[in-house]
Amino acid sequence: MREITILVVDDEADIRATVSAMLEIEGYDVAEASNGADALHVLEERRPDLILLDMRMPILDGWGFAAELRRRGHRTPIVVMTAARDAAHWAAEIAAAAFVAKPFGFEDLIAAVERVSPPAA
Amino acid sequence: MTALELIDVANQVLFIGLFAAVLWRALKQPSRASWDMVLLFGSIAGVVFLARAAEVLQLGEQPWLIGVILLLLAIAPYAMLRLVGDFSRTPRWVLLVGGPVLAIIGVLGFVAFGAAPRLYEVVAIAWFLGVGGYAALAFGRAALATRGITQRRMTAVAFGTLLFIAAIVIAFADVLVETVDLPAAPQVISLFAGLSFFLGFAPPAWIRRAWREPDLRNFLERSIHLPTITDERRAVVEIQNAAAGAFGASGASIGLAVAGRPVLRYVNRAGDWVEYADDAFIPGRAYRQQQRVVALDAMELDPEHAAVYEQNLATTIIAAPITTDERRLGVLSVYADRAPIFVEDDLWLIELMAAHTALLLEARSHATTTNSLRAREESARLKEEFLSAAAHDLRTPLTVVLGQAELLERRVARDPAAPPDAVGISRMVREARRLRDLVTELLDAQRLEMGSEVMDLEPIDLRTVLESVRRRYHDQGIDLKVTTPADAAIGSIDEPRFEQVIDNLVENAIKYTSSGMLPEVELAVDAGEARILVTDHGVGVPEEERDRIFDRFYRATNVQGTTESGIGLGLYICRRIVEAHAGRIWVEPAPGGGSTFVVVIPAAEAAASNPAPADWKPSSNDPSPDAFEVAADA
Repeated sequence: MREITILVVDDEADIRATVSAMLEIEGYDVAEASNGADALHVLEERRPDLILLDMRMPILDGWGFAAELRRRGHRTPIVVMTAARDAAHWAAEIAAAAFVAKPFGFEDLIAAVERVSPPAA
Repeated sequence: MTALELIDVANQVLFIGLFAAVLWRALKQPSRASWDMVLLFGSIAGVVFLARAAEVLQLGEQPWLIGVILLLLAIAPYAMLRLVGDFSRTPRWVLLVGGPVLAIIGVLGFVAFGAAPRLYEVVAIAWFLGVGGYAALAFGRAALATRGITQRRMTAVAFGTLLFIAAIVIAFADVLVETVDLPAAPQVISLFAGLSFFLGFAPPAWIRRAWREPDLRNFLERSIHLPTITDERRAVVEIQNAAAGAFGASGASIGLAVAGRPVLRYVNRAGDWVEYADDAFIPGRAYRQQQRVVALDAMELDPEHAAVYEQNLATTIIAAPITTDERRLGVLSVYADRAPIFVEDDLWLIELMAAHTALLLEARSHATTTNSLRAREESARLKEEFLSAAAHDLRTPLTVVLGQAELLERRVARDPAAPPDAVGISRMVREARRLRDLVTELLDAQRLEMGSEVMDLEPIDLRTVLESVRRRYHDQGIDLKVTTPADAAIGSIDEPRFEQVIDNLVENAIKYTSSGMLPEVELAVDAGEARILVTDHGVGVPEEERDRIFDRFYRATNVQGTTESGIGLGLYICRRIVEAHAGRIWVEPAPGGGSTFVVVIPAAEAAASNPAPADWKPSSNDPSPDAFEVAADA
């Protein structure tokens, strides 16, 4: 049985750490990236099964990252996590599988991840 | 009936009709000018009547009759002279000499016409040419000096005078010089003179309407855009100029009522509001009585302000209240250095303009209401934006606090004996502090937004402000380098707010300097300005962002994503406070890297005197010319 790997992309270090800790305690394998460009590197290394993506980030934002991801032929599902009020709208824009709106709690995050993540092989 | 007889009859009807018209008006609106018109047309009508009577009664060439006719004829130029005096400035001696000369000619008509007709004719021609010519010229000049319907009527009068004099002179010359033989000329010319007089002195209503139309159109065209002018003083001056232009007057003046106080405010020559008691000056009377006022001699009617009237060439003032739906908005007055030539036209026009001005003022006040509603909408929109941005910025730290707290809860639930997650706890504490800072910043901004206009400005030595900031940092173990001048630097400030600005700048300077070098603070006073410089050794502000960092919610791109809190309100708050002190704030690159934030506010003199109270009213021994100051040419 392979562990499910989740890539957490957010420019706020504390958010990354918190989200990672939440996922790890639930038994997920976690990779982190601080922006879209960083995430593209990590992507090739770790081949995540799911991407938790903040939208407003420096260097390469969520939209740019999603477009590049698709261009490279990856079909990895994305869960948008944002503080914006139009989280649902942004999620639709990049054809994300789901979204969680900040501030989200433990249950919200895990529920979204479980709904989207592929069944563990 | 021959053509000549027909012309004779027309002449007779015309002049007797004119006499009746001016007499009727003189009885209705007695004034010196209207009685002088009666004198003019009375004398001519008298000549016509006597000549006709002599014909009918077959009195023949009775010397006394000829004497009376000649006297009446000689009165006409004298009446013209008097009319000139009524309508424009005529040297006093002209009128003083005119009377006796008329008397001499009158006597000559009785005693000399029979004995020495030539002599009389020469004297009469000289009289008509001299006095009549002078009058025609003076009317012509008066016509040029006026505008609108008055100008048209005055032109007609000047032509009438010229033609009338020509007719008489030709008639006399016909007799005097045998080679001159123009049988019907005097009658024909006199007919045209009569028609001109008719147009000038008693134009029918339809001609008046046609003549007024261009002035009104002009006034309306000039005033149509006024409701959109935001500066009320400019709008008032524009209406005044348009009104003065339509009348060809020296100027016009608008006094506006002030809610709740018995004053009228006027725009003076410098373009500032000045207030006077609402019954002061002749316009004040029109306002108080709520009816039009005609002051043919303002200085005589209101001797208290004679000097003001004289200075503004306001011999005659006509004023009409600006009132709508019983709301007293103010008063419009037009003034000139001559009597109104045709006062009924001027009154009609000024009342119309006052009504129009009332409409304009109403439209303006509606426009102002609309603008303030729009401003309120805009501020509501900003508030909405503000809340939305604030909520956004609160969500991130809240996510961390909530997430970490839930993690702790889970860990404890799973294994109560497990060691506490020190990293998670410090993360939580850090983000909770950030939340606290954000909330404080938001509340500050909110408070400033609501109360930035009610600051208590007091003269305070700015050195004490810097000293207080320095001491506070010193207590925290941070020794700022503060440079202040030796002399007191007095600024008119709201001390806690102003200190907040300096504090915020110093805090930023420390926050964004990673090298640990401390910021420097400097105060200098120069040319009535106090200048406070806060210099840091940080990363500096990119050039293209130097203006925007003072905008709301703006954070320089090179500090975004750092661990420092802030939602981009600090400098915005600083700017608002500095601007409320009539000051400016900007950032410059500091030599050797970093930035210098510059705050400049006016440095008040320590012994600044209080400005004059706003409700100053002129006393009788201090007549201010301001109330009527308006450019004469519009």
